[in-house]
Amino acid sequence: MKRFTRMIYKNPEELIFGHAKFPVSERWNIQFGAGYVVPEVKVAPQEGSEASKEKMVAECRNIAQSACKRAVSIGLPSFMLEQEHVFQQTNNPEWAAECTQIQAEILERYYDEYGISVALRQTPADIRVEERAPGLRGSDYDNKIEETMEACAANGASDLCIETMGGKSASDYGISRGDIKAVLFGIGVLGSIDMEYMWKRIVNICRRYDCRPGGDTDCAQANTAMFMAGGLLDKDIAHTTAALARAMAAARSLVAVECGAIGPLKDCGYENPIVKAISGVPIATEGKNAVCAHSDLMGNLTAAMTDVWSNESVYHRQEMGGTTPEVWLQATGYEAALMNTAIQTGTGETLRDIYTLTDKYRDPQGLILAYDNAYRIGEAIVNYGNDPYLRARAAALEAGKIINEAVDAGKLYLTRFERDSLDNALKILEELPMDSDQFTDECLRTYTRKVPEFDPKSYEL
Amino acid sequence: MTHIEELESKLDQNFVAIRYNVEIEGPAIRPENDLDVRNILPTEEPYKSIALAVLYGDMDASLSNVNDGLEAGLSPVDIINNGLMKGMDAVSLLYTKGFYFLPDLMLSGDSMMEGVRVCEKILGHKSETKGTTVSFVAEGDPHDIGKNLVVMFLRANGYDAIDLGRDVPTTEVIDAVEKYKPLFMTGTALMTTTMTVFPKVVEELQKKGLEVPAFGCGGGSVRKDFVESFPMSVYGVEAYHAPKLADSILKDKKTWKELRKEYSEIVGEFVSEYA
Repeated sequence: MKRFTRMIYKNPEELIFGHAKFPVSERWNIQFGAGYVVPEVKVAPQEGSEASKEKMVAECRNIAQSACKRAVSIGLPSFMLEQEHVFQQTNNPEWAAECTQIQAEILERYYDEYGISVALRQTPADIRVEERAPGLRGSDYDNKIEETMEACAANGASDLCIETMGGKSASDYGISRGDIKAVLFGIGVLGSIDMEYMWKRIVNICRRYDCRPGGDTDCAQANTAMFMAGGLLDKDIAHTTAALARAMAAARSLVAVECGAIGPLKDCGYENPIVKAISGVPIATEGKNAVCAHSDLMGNLTAAMTDVWSNESVYHRQEMGGTTPEVWLQATGYEAALMNTAIQTGTGETLRDIYTLTDKYRDPQGLILAYDNAYRIGEAIVNYGNDPYLRARAAALEAGKIINEAVDAGKLYLTRFERDSLDNALKILEELPMDSDQFTDECLRTYTRKVPEFDPKSYEL
Repeated sequence: MTHIEELESKLDQNFVAIRYNVEIEGPAIRPENDLDVRNILPTEEPYKSIALAVLYGDMDASLSNVNDGLEAGLSPVDIINNGLMKGMDAVSLLYTKGFYFLPDLMLSGDSMMEGVRVCEKILGHKSETKGTTVSFVAEGDPHDIGKNLVVMFLRANGYDAIDLGRDVPTTEVIDAVEKYKPLFMTGTALMTTTMTVFPKVVEELQKKGLEVPAFGCGGGSVRKDFVESFPMSVYGVEAYHAPKLADSILKDKKTWKELRKEYSEIVGEFVSEYA
């Protein structure tokens, strides 16, 4: 596996929505990062649909049908439908096969009839449970994920993604206790090891079909930190800690690309701008049109470098303006139209910078993902590109530096909790060993004792 | 000057975003100097030191203070009630006030629990608690950080919180209710299609003629309207609300119906989901 040791982008100014160094084409005449932004819609099956295969298939059919109908009703040139699996879909590969097949048929029908460019992303759930023998590798759940991936690829998915959970036991412990070493171990070391295990298999499956390996997201770890950090008045996790976790997540999510994923990377990977700056692959992102799923502090900034603009997730139900697949595709569709208008009229850079400045100093988490800063973190990662631990550590240290510079410049203000957490974390990170084996040994000694769910065998450690 | 730098120079930051958290936070004081904390903390040694170690989330100090106390002949029950729990009461108060944050709470919780474990070893049985609670993550759902927080909050508030883990089959939940007869149970789920386990749990309990005073359901996609569509349940909004709900069952004999009606009042704050 070849690691990234240099930046594919040579200048942060080149980073802009709708453009990637390595565009991706999928069936049904759609391209990503090829000069336009594609809107995405994703809808969670409603409760009760998991009761039987028939109900789940009908649910998936209805979601696809509603999205397609609204897309042509408002004149969208393209869109992506993503189906994130619930437990029952991934645990029953035959369900996944039929759900994928029916959605693919509907998309293809609209493609044939209207010429609309469409894509079908399937995201099986990571249902593995680390503390239950045999852990993350080789369990029934693990095998089901692989079978389901294949079932999706064979039945019409145009790309595959997953949100792997490797390292979550350690990072959850670290996030909830402000233990930055555990966070680094969970995301940078364990997460990267598990990604490699999972992504080599996914890429192999995709090679056998007309299906692209999309990407992963550190939803299980960095998003846990972000959600727990919450809004400005929440008091659970320091926003500076969440920002450092996010920077580490870029070093981890890059592993999917190193294993052969080509993008668009998965929407809830808020670390994706950094991965795009390093690798040149197109990315999906989410922000203000994902308020149906959660609140973040960078609703516009995340659009600056996007190639696929997503709503993240929403209940399948009715709003005043229609069903949720219709309503939220309309929301992401109009935002993509704004970006595409800017591209065509030569005002893309201005819109990108306005998106960025709207949120750049709202919170440290947004600051480090602004495209100029995302690029700097990318550089820190590739400087230690061959070592997953050192590059995650370097990413966090660079993020800390970026935050401190903004504070010194009077552009960003921190609370005591954020300040203390950042100072404490940077001090610990700076003092960590420069040898990854030594770090891993230290962490194994500490966290096998402190974190009952952590199972080193799941990572072949 | 780059394009973005040029634009940035024209921008008044407060015109687009204000960091209210920075604006409202007051001056720093030592936690034990907070007036309300002073009223909680014991004044006599070694209870004071035991409580302070918990307050500072210092597990090593907590263990060594507890061991010193035991060696000096103090009763394990007194160490728990007059030292460890007092420290934790102060921690909970500081968290409620916004002075302490989750990591403080978790580290203090760990310190308290380690001390309790040492005392219980000497006692030869579990220490007296306010009551037993049972917590689980729905079958098919591996997301357990919310459940871990609930368990920690319940333990920190003096409950014997039984943790069944994640992806827990319904039969195991029923067995636990039969075995522990909890005064409060919590179930968490991240996904819409795993939260459907909750009404099944209630159905199975009813089939066996079992009941819990209240079954708090919460987590990522869990909605109040769904939770209130079946009996015995209460929609839980924040993990730290769990002990307040349990307290109201214990002290005021509140039923799940009353918890639904008086939720905001019971947890002592405005809760938009219950407005």
